[in-house]
Amino acid sequence: MERMIAVDRLARPDNHILAPLERMFQARVDQGFSPTNVMPHEEDFLKGRLHGIAVGEMQAMEAAGRTLFDFPDAPWEFQLDMARQVWDESRHAEIFIKLLEYVGSYLGEFPETEVLWSCTQIDDPACRVAGINRGLEGLACDVFEQIIRLAQRMGDEVIERAVDYVLADEITHVRMGSKWMRKLTEGDPERLKKAQDFQDNIDNLFNFQGGRTAQEASPQVPIEVGGRAIDFDSTLTIAREARILAGFTDDEIERLLKAASRSAAY
Amino acid sequence: MSSLGERVNVLGPQPIFERFATPPAMLAAAGRILSLMAAGDAEALAGMATAAGAAELAAVAAAVRPGVYDRHEIIATARLNYHHYVKARLYGPRAEPFTLQFRLGEESGEWRVWEAINLTGRRGAWTR
Repeated sequence: MERMIAVDRLARPDNHILAPLERMFQARVDQGFSPTNVMPHEEDFLKGRLHGIAVGEMQAMEAAGRTLFDFPDAPWEFQLDMARQVWDESRHAEIFIKLLEYVGSYLGEFPETEVLWSCTQIDDPACRVAGINRGLEGLACDVFEQIIRLAQRMGDEVIERAVDYVLADEITHVRMGSKWMRKLTEGDPERLKKAQDFQDNIDNLFNFQGGRTAQEASPQVPIEVGGRAIDFDSTLTIAREARILAGFTDDEIERLLKAASRSAAY
Repeated sequence: MSSLGERVNVLGPQPIFERFATPPAMLAAAGRILSLMAAGDAEALAGMATAAGAAELAAVAAAVRPGVYDRHEIIATARLNYHHYVKARLYGPRAEPFTLQFRLGEESGEWRVWEAINLTGRRGAWTR
Protein backbone atom coordinates (compact mmCIF):
# COMPACT_ATOMS: atom_id res chain seq x y z
CA MET A 1 0.00 0.00 0.00
CA GLU A 2 1.20 3.48 -0.87
CA ARG A 3 2.17 6.01 1.80
CA MET A 4 1.61 9.77 1.43
CA ILE A 5 -1.03 9.35 -1.25
CA ALA A 6 -1.83 12.39 -3.38
CA VAL A 7 -4.94 14.50 -2.90
CA ASP A 8 -6.59 13.24 -6.07
CA ARG A 9 -6.21 9.57 -5.14
CA LEU A 10 -8.90 9.38 -2.48
CA ALA A 11 -11.21 6.52 -3.36
CA ARG A 12 -14.88 7.23 -3.92
CA PRO A 13 -17.63 5.21 -5.63
CA ASP A 14 -18.14 5.86 -9.32
CA ASN A 15 -21.56 7.37 -8.69
CA HIS A 16 -20.18 10.07 -6.41
CA ILE A 17 -19.67 13.61 -7.67
CA LEU A 18 -16.46 15.35 -6.68
CA ALA A 19 -15.60 18.96 -7.45
CA PRO A 20 -12.67 21.15 -6.42
CA LEU A 21 -13.62 23.82 -3.89
CA GLU A 22 -12.80 26.74 -6.18
CA ARG A 23 -15.14 25.33 -8.84
CA MET A 24 -17.94 25.01 -6.31
CA PHE A 25 -17.40 28.58 -5.17
CA GLN A 26 -17.53 29.69 -8.83
CA ALA A 27 -20.77 27.74 -9.25
CA ARG A 28 -22.24 29.70 -6.34
CA VAL A 29 -21.03 33.01 -7.77
CA ASP A 30 -22.63 32.08 -11.12
CA GLN A 31 -25.95 31.85 -9.24
CA GLY A 32 -25.53 35.10 -7.34
CA PHE A 33 -24.40 33.57 -4.05
CA SER A 34 -21.26 34.36 -2.03
CA PRO A 35 -18.04 32.43 -2.86
CA THR A 36 -18.29 30.48 0.39
CA ASN A 37 -19.93 27.40 1.76
CA VAL A 38 -23.71 27.56 2.14
CA MET A 39 -24.58 30.41 4.50
CA PRO A 40 -27.03 30.19 7.44
CA HIS A 41 -29.67 32.43 5.85
CA GLU A 42 -29.93 30.29 2.69
CA GLU A 43 -32.81 27.91 2.06
CA ASP A 44 -30.39 24.97 1.67
CA PHE A 45 -28.38 25.67 4.82
CA LEU A 46 -29.40 22.69 6.95
CA LYS A 47 -29.24 20.10 4.16
CA GLY A 48 -26.09 21.56 2.62
CA ARG A 49 -24.29 21.99 5.90
CA LEU A 50 -25.16 18.52 7.20
CA HIS A 51 -24.02 17.08 3.87
CA GLY A 52 -20.73 18.96 4.07
CA ILE A 53 -20.21 17.62 7.58
CA ALA A 54 -21.08 14.03 6.57
CA VAL A 55 -18.42 13.98 3.83
CA GLY A 56 -16.10 15.95 6.12
CA GLU A 57 -16.42 13.20 8.73
CA MET A 58 -15.59 10.61 6.07
CA GLN A 59 -12.50 12.59 5.08
CA ALA A 60 -11.55 13.07 8.75
CA MET A 61 -11.80 9.31 9.23
CA GLU A 62 -9.59 8.78 6.18
CA ALA A 63 -7.16 11.47 7.33
CA ALA A 64 -6.69 9.91 10.78
CA GLY A 65 -6.30 6.47 9.21
CA ARG A 66 -3.81 7.87 6.76
CA THR A 67 -1.81 9.49 9.57
CA LEU A 68 -1.74 6.18 11.43
CA PHE A 69 -0.45 4.40 8.31
CA ASP A 70 1.93 7.11 7.08
CA PHE A 71 3.96 7.35 10.30
CA PRO A 72 4.71 3.81 11.53
CA ASP A 73 7.60 5.07 13.69
CA ALA A 74 5.46 7.53 15.67
CA PRO A 75 4.96 6.74 19.40
CA TRP A 76 2.59 3.88 20.14
CA GLU A 77 0.28 6.15 22.15
CA PHE A 78 0.04 8.50 19.15
CA GLN A 79 -0.97 5.59 16.96
CA LEU A 80 -3.57 4.51 19.52
CA ASP A 81 -5.06 8.03 19.57
CA MET A 82 -5.23 8.10 15.75
CA ALA A 83 -6.87 4.66 15.71
CA ARG A 84 -9.41 5.86 18.24
CA GLN A 85 -10.08 8.90 16.09
CA VAL A 86 -10.74 6.71 13.03
CA TRP A 87 -13.36 4.89 15.08
CA ASP A 88 -14.90 8.16 16.32
CA GLU A 89 -15.07 9.69 12.83
CA SER A 90 -16.63 6.59 11.33
CA ARG A 91 -19.37 6.77 13.96
CA HIS A 92 -19.81 10.48 13.23
CA ALA A 93 -20.12 9.79 9.50
CA GLU A 94 -22.92 7.32 10.24
CA ILE A 95 -24.67 9.81 12.51
CA PHE A 96 -24.58 12.55 9.89
CA ILE A 97 -25.70 10.23 7.09
CA LYS A 98 -28.74 9.43 9.24
CA LEU A 99 -29.29 13.11 10.03
CA LEU A 100 -29.23 13.79 6.29
CA GLU A 101 -32.09 11.38 5.83
CA TYR A 102 -33.87 13.02 8.76
CA VAL A 103 -33.80 16.40 6.99
CA GLY A 104 -34.92 14.93 3.64
CA SER A 105 -31.49 14.68 2.07
CA TYR A 106 -29.08 11.84 1.28
CA LEU A 107 -25.37 11.27 0.81
CA GLY A 108 -24.60 12.45 -2.72
CA GLU A 109 -27.29 15.13 -2.99
CA PHE A 110 -24.51 17.72 -3.11
CA PRO A 111 -21.01 17.43 -4.56
CA GLU A 112 -18.05 16.64 -2.31
CA THR A 113 -14.98 18.88 -2.30
CA GLU A 114 -11.40 17.89 -1.65
CA VAL A 115 -10.68 20.74 0.73
CA LEU A 116 -10.50 18.84 4.02
CA TRP A 117 -8.54 15.95 2.57
CA SER A 118 -6.13 18.37 0.89
CA CYS A 119 -5.22 19.64 4.37
CA THR A 120 -3.57 16.27 5.05
CA GLN A 121 -0.92 16.81 2.38
CA ILE A 122 2.03 17.20 4.69
CA ASP A 123 4.69 14.71 5.73
CA ASP A 124 5.21 15.62 9.40
CA PRO A 125 2.87 14.07 12.01
CA ALA A 126 3.14 17.21 14.17
CA CYS A 127 1.85 19.32 11.26
CA ARG A 128 -0.86 16.75 10.55
CA VAL A 129 -2.29 16.94 14.06
CA ALA A 130 -1.89 20.72 14.14
CA GLY A 131 -3.76 21.09 10.86
CA ILE A 132 -6.36 18.35 11.21
CA ASN A 133 -6.97 18.08 14.96
CA ARG A 134 -6.49 21.72 15.88
CA GLY A 135 -7.37 23.51 12.63
CA LEU A 136 -10.13 21.38 11.13
CA GLU A 137 -11.56 19.93 14.33
CA GLY A 138 -11.53 23.42 15.82
CA LEU A 139 -13.56 24.53 12.81
CA ALA A 140 -15.89 21.58 13.47
CA CYS A 141 -16.48 22.93 17.00
CA ASP A 142 -17.62 26.23 15.44
CA VAL A 143 -19.85 24.58 12.87
CA PHE A 144 -21.46 22.17 15.32
CA GLU A 145 -22.14 24.84 17.92
CA GLN A 146 -23.99 26.85 15.27
CA ILE A 147 -26.09 23.89 14.17
CA ILE A 148 -26.94 23.09 17.80
CA ARG A 149 -28.19 26.66 18.28
CA LEU A 150 -30.18 26.48 15.04
CA ALA A 151 -31.77 23.20 16.19
CA GLN A 152 -32.62 24.81 19.55
CA ARG A 153 -34.36 27.69 17.77
CA MET A 154 -36.21 25.18 15.60
CA GLY A 155 -37.17 23.18 18.69
CA ASP A 156 -35.61 20.06 17.14
CA GLU A 157 -34.09 17.83 19.81
CA VAL A 158 -32.99 15.12 17.36
CA ILE A 159 -30.50 17.39 15.58
CA GLU A 160 -29.56 19.23 18.77
CA ARG A 161 -28.67 16.08 20.71
CA ALA A 162 -27.04 14.18 17.85
CA VAL A 163 -24.72 17.07 17.01
CA ASP A 164 -23.98 17.78 20.67
CA TYR A 165 -22.91 14.15 21.06
CA VAL A 166 -20.49 14.51 18.14
CA LEU A 167 -19.23 17.89 19.40
CA ALA A 168 -18.13 16.20 22.65
CA ASP A 169 -15.86 13.92 20.61
CA GLU A 170 -14.47 16.77 18.51
CA ILE A 171 -13.44 18.58 21.67
CA THR A 172 -11.38 15.53 22.67
CA HIS A 173 -9.83 15.44 19.17
CA VAL A 174 -8.66 19.04 19.48
CA ARG A 175 -7.16 18.29 22.89
CA MET A 176 -5.46 15.22 21.43
CA GLY A 177 -4.03 17.39 18.64
CA SER A 178 -2.72 19.99 21.10
CA LYS A 179 -1.08 17.27 23.19
CA TRP A 180 0.67 15.61 20.24
CA MET A 181 1.67 18.85 18.53
CA ARG A 182 3.56 19.77 21.71
CA LYS A 183 4.95 16.28 22.46
CA LEU A 184 6.20 15.63 18.94
CA THR A 185 7.94 19.00 18.77
CA GLU A 186 9.42 18.98 22.28
CA GLY A 187 12.85 20.67 22.21
CA ASP A 188 12.44 21.61 18.55
CA PRO A 189 10.98 25.15 18.35
CA GLU A 190 11.47 25.28 14.59
CA ARG A 191 9.31 22.19 14.10
CA LEU A 192 6.68 23.59 16.48
CA LYS A 193 6.58 26.83 14.48
CA LYS A 194 6.19 24.87 11.25
CA ALA A 195 3.23 22.98 12.76
CA GLN A 196 1.62 26.20 14.03
CA ASP A 197 2.12 27.87 10.65
CA PHE A 198 0.47 24.92 8.95
CA GLN A 199 -2.52 25.27 11.29
CA ASP A 200 -2.64 29.04 10.65
CA ASN A 201 -2.79 28.39 6.90
CA ILE A 202 -5.74 26.08 7.42
CA ASP A 203 -7.49 28.55 9.74
CA ASN A 204 -7.04 31.25 7.09
CA LEU A 205 -8.39 28.97 4.39
CA PHE A 206 -11.68 28.83 6.29
CA ASN A 207 -12.09 32.51 7.02
CA PHE A 208 -14.47 32.77 4.08
CA GLN A 209 -13.58 36.36 3.29
CA GLY A 210 -15.27 37.81 6.32
CA GLY A 211 -18.22 35.42 6.25
CA ARG A 212 -17.18 34.38 9.80
CA THR A 213 -17.69 36.38 12.96
CA ALA A 214 -17.86 35.84 16.70
CA GLN A 215 -21.16 34.23 17.67
CA GLU A 216 -22.30 37.33 19.58
CA ALA A 217 -21.39 39.61 16.64
CA SER A 218 -23.42 37.76 14.02
CA PRO A 219 -26.32 39.93 12.82
CA GLN A 220 -29.62 38.10 13.27
CA VAL A 221 -31.80 37.85 10.19
CA PRO A 222 -35.22 36.28 9.67
CA ILE A 223 -35.03 32.86 8.02
CA GLU A 224 -37.54 30.14 7.33
CA VAL A 225 -36.73 26.55 8.28
CA GLY A 226 -39.32 23.92 7.48
CA GLY A 227 -42.07 26.51 7.20
CA ARG A 228 -41.19 28.05 10.56
CA ALA A 229 -39.92 31.65 10.74
CA ILE A 230 -37.04 32.26 13.14
CA ASP A 231 -34.26 34.78 13.55
CA PHE A 232 -30.79 33.36 13.06
CA ASP A 233 -27.13 34.17 12.31
CA SER A 234 -26.27 35.75 8.98
CA THR A 235 -22.63 34.62 9.25
CA LEU A 236 -20.68 31.47 10.05
CA THR A 237 -19.72 31.85 13.69
CA ILE A 238 -16.67 31.13 15.82
CA ALA A 239 -17.65 29.27 19.00
CA ARG A 240 -15.57 30.74 21.80
CA GLU A 241 -17.00 28.56 24.57
CA ALA A 242 -16.58 25.27 22.69
CA ARG A 243 -13.05 26.27 21.67
CA ILE A 244 -12.13 27.04 25.28
CA LEU A 245 -13.48 23.64 26.32
CA ALA A 246 -11.31 22.14 23.58
CA GLY A 247 -8.24 23.80 25.08
CA PHE A 248 -7.67 26.73 22.71
CA THR A 249 -6.22 29.71 24.55
CA ASP A 250 -7.89 33.13 24.60
CA ASP A 251 -4.98 34.42 22.50
CA GLU A 252 -5.57 31.78 19.85
CA ILE A 253 -9.28 32.58 19.68
CA GLU A 254 -8.60 36.32 19.50
CA ARG A 255 -6.13 35.72 16.66
CA LEU A 256 -8.75 33.75 14.77
CA LEU A 257 -11.35 36.49 15.26
CA LYS A 258 -8.90 39.18 14.15
CA ALA A 259 -7.99 37.22 11.04
CA ALA A 260 -11.69 36.84 10.21
CA SER A 261 -12.32 40.57 10.58
CA ARG A 262 -9.24 41.38 8.45
CA SER A 263 -10.69 39.23 5.71
CA ALA A 264 -13.95 41.19 5.86
CA ALA A 265 -12.08 44.40 5.07
CA TYR A 266 -10.67 43.04 1.82
CA MET B 1 -26.37 5.65 -1.91
CA SER B 2 -28.41 2.57 -1.14
CA SER B 3 -31.68 3.10 0.66
CA LEU B 4 -31.61 2.87 4.41
CA GLY B 5 -35.00 1.16 4.27
CA GLU B 6 -38.62 2.17 4.53
CA ARG B 7 -38.62 4.91 7.12
CA VAL B 8 -42.30 4.46 7.89
CA ASN B 9 -41.51 0.94 9.13
CA VAL B 10 -38.82 2.23 11.47
CA LEU B 11 -39.49 3.38 14.99
CA GLY B 12 -38.16 6.77 15.92
CA PRO B 13 -38.00 10.17 14.23
CA GLN B 14 -39.31 10.46 10.70
CA PRO B 15 -37.89 12.88 8.09
CA ILE B 16 -38.90 16.46 8.81
CA PHE B 17 -38.42 17.87 5.29
CA GLU B 18 -39.27 16.69 1.78
CA ARG B 19 -36.58 15.48 -0.57
CA PHE B 20 -35.65 17.83 -3.40
CA ALA B 21 -36.94 16.46 -6.71
CA THR B 22 -34.35 16.55 -9.49
CA PRO B 23 -35.92 18.65 -12.29
CA PRO B 24 -36.97 16.41 -15.21
CA ALA B 25 -36.18 19.26 -17.64
CA MET B 26 -32.58 19.29 -16.36
CA LEU B 27 -32.26 15.54 -16.90
CA ALA B 28 -33.76 15.89 -20.38
CA ALA B 29 -31.22 18.62 -21.23
CA ALA B 30 -28.41 16.41 -19.94
CA GLY B 31 -29.62 13.55 -22.13
CA ARG B 32 -29.73 15.86 -25.16
CA ILE B 33 -26.18 17.06 -24.50
CA LEU B 34 -24.93 13.47 -24.30
CA SER B 35 -26.68 12.58 -27.56
CA LEU B 36 -25.16 15.61 -29.30
CA MET B 37 -21.72 14.65 -27.93
CA ALA B 38 -22.02 11.14 -29.29
CA ALA B 39 -23.18 12.52 -32.64
CA GLY B 40 -20.29 15.00 -32.76
CA ASP B 41 -22.64 17.95 -33.27
CA ALA B 42 -20.36 20.71 -32.01
CA GLU B 43 -22.57 23.52 -33.31
CA ALA B 44 -25.70 22.36 -31.50
CA LEU B 45 -23.66 21.75 -28.36
CA ALA B 46 -22.25 25.29 -28.49
CA GLY B 47 -25.84 26.53 -28.41
CA MET B 48 -26.34 24.74 -25.10
CA ALA B 49 -23.39 26.36 -23.32
CA THR B 50 -23.17 29.62 -21.43
CA ALA B 51 -20.38 32.04 -22.34
CA ALA B 52 -18.49 30.82 -19.25
CA GLY B 53 -18.82 27.15 -20.14
CA ALA B 54 -18.42 27.28 -23.94
CA ALA B 55 -14.67 26.65 -24.14
CA GLU B 56 -14.71 23.74 -21.69
CA LEU B 57 -17.70 22.10 -23.36
CA ALA B 58 -16.06 22.47 -26.78
CA ALA B 59 -12.84 20.91 -25.46
CA VAL B 60 -14.71 17.92 -24.04
CA ALA B 61 -16.75 17.55 -27.25
CA ALA B 62 -13.56 17.63 -29.33
CA ALA B 63 -12.23 14.66 -27.36
CA VAL B 64 -15.25 12.52 -28.30
CA ARG B 65 -14.80 10.56 -31.54
CA PRO B 66 -18.03 11.03 -33.50
CA GLY B 67 -20.05 7.97 -34.47
CA VAL B 68 -18.27 5.69 -32.00
CA TYR B 69 -20.72 5.85 -29.10
CA ASP B 70 -24.30 4.69 -29.40
CA ARG B 71 -25.67 4.97 -25.89
CA HIS B 72 -25.16 6.96 -22.74
CA GLU B 73 -25.84 6.71 -19.03
CA ILE B 74 -26.15 9.35 -16.35
CA ILE B 75 -24.13 7.91 -13.47
CA ALA B 76 -24.83 10.56 -10.86
CA THR B 77 -26.24 14.01 -10.30
CA ALA B 78 -25.61 16.40 -7.43
CA ARG B 79 -26.96 19.87 -6.93
CA LEU B 80 -25.40 23.06 -5.67
CA ASN B 81 -28.20 25.52 -4.93
CA TYR B 82 -30.07 25.56 -8.28
CA HIS B 83 -27.28 24.23 -10.50
CA HIS B 84 -26.75 20.53 -11.06
CA TYR B 85 -23.59 18.54 -11.65
CA VAL B 86 -24.08 15.58 -13.99
CA LYS B 87 -21.57 12.74 -14.28
CA ALA B 88 -22.19 10.59 -17.34
CA ARG B 89 -20.64 7.98 -19.57
CA LEU B 90 -20.86 7.31 -23.31
CA TYR B 91 -20.65 3.71 -24.51
CA GLY B 92 -19.91 2.18 -27.89
CA PRO B 93 -19.38 -1.40 -29.06
CA ARG B 94 -15.80 -0.85 -30.17
CA ALA B 95 -14.56 1.88 -27.86
CA GLU B 96 -13.58 2.38 -24.27
CA PRO B 97 -16.31 4.27 -22.35
CA PHE B 98 -16.00 8.07 -22.33
CA THR B 99 -16.69 9.68 -18.95
CA LEU B 100 -17.50 13.35 -18.45
CA GLN B 101 -18.93 15.69 -15.85
CA PHE B 102 -20.72 18.96 -16.48
CA ARG B 103 -22.70 21.55 -14.57
CA LEU B 104 -26.12 22.61 -15.77
CA GLY B 105 -27.94 25.74 -14.69
CA GLU B 106 -30.87 27.68 -16.06
CA GLU B 107 -30.14 30.79 -18.10
CA SER B 108 -33.01 32.65 -19.75
CA GLY B 109 -35.30 29.70 -19.12
CA GLU B 110 -32.98 27.16 -20.79
CA TRP B 111 -30.73 24.58 -19.12
CA ARG B 112 -27.19 25.36 -20.22
CA VAL B 113 -23.68 24.07 -19.48
CA TRP B 114 -21.61 26.28 -17.17
CA GLU B 115 -18.59 24.01 -16.91
CA ALA B 116 -17.47 20.66 -18.27
CA ILE B 117 -14.61 18.26 -17.67
CA ASN B 118 -13.42 15.09 -19.37
CA LEU B 119 -13.05 12.41 -16.68
CA THR B 120 -12.04 9.56 -19.00
CA GLY B 121 -9.17 7.66 -17.43
CA ARG B 122 -9.36 9.75 -14.28
CA ARG B 123 -10.62 8.95 -10.83
CA GLY B 124 -12.64 12.11 -10.37
CA ALA B 125 -12.86 15.83 -10.90
CA TRP B 126 -10.32 16.38 -8.14
CA THR B 127 -7.57 15.39 -10.58
CA ARG B 128 -6.29 18.67 -11.89
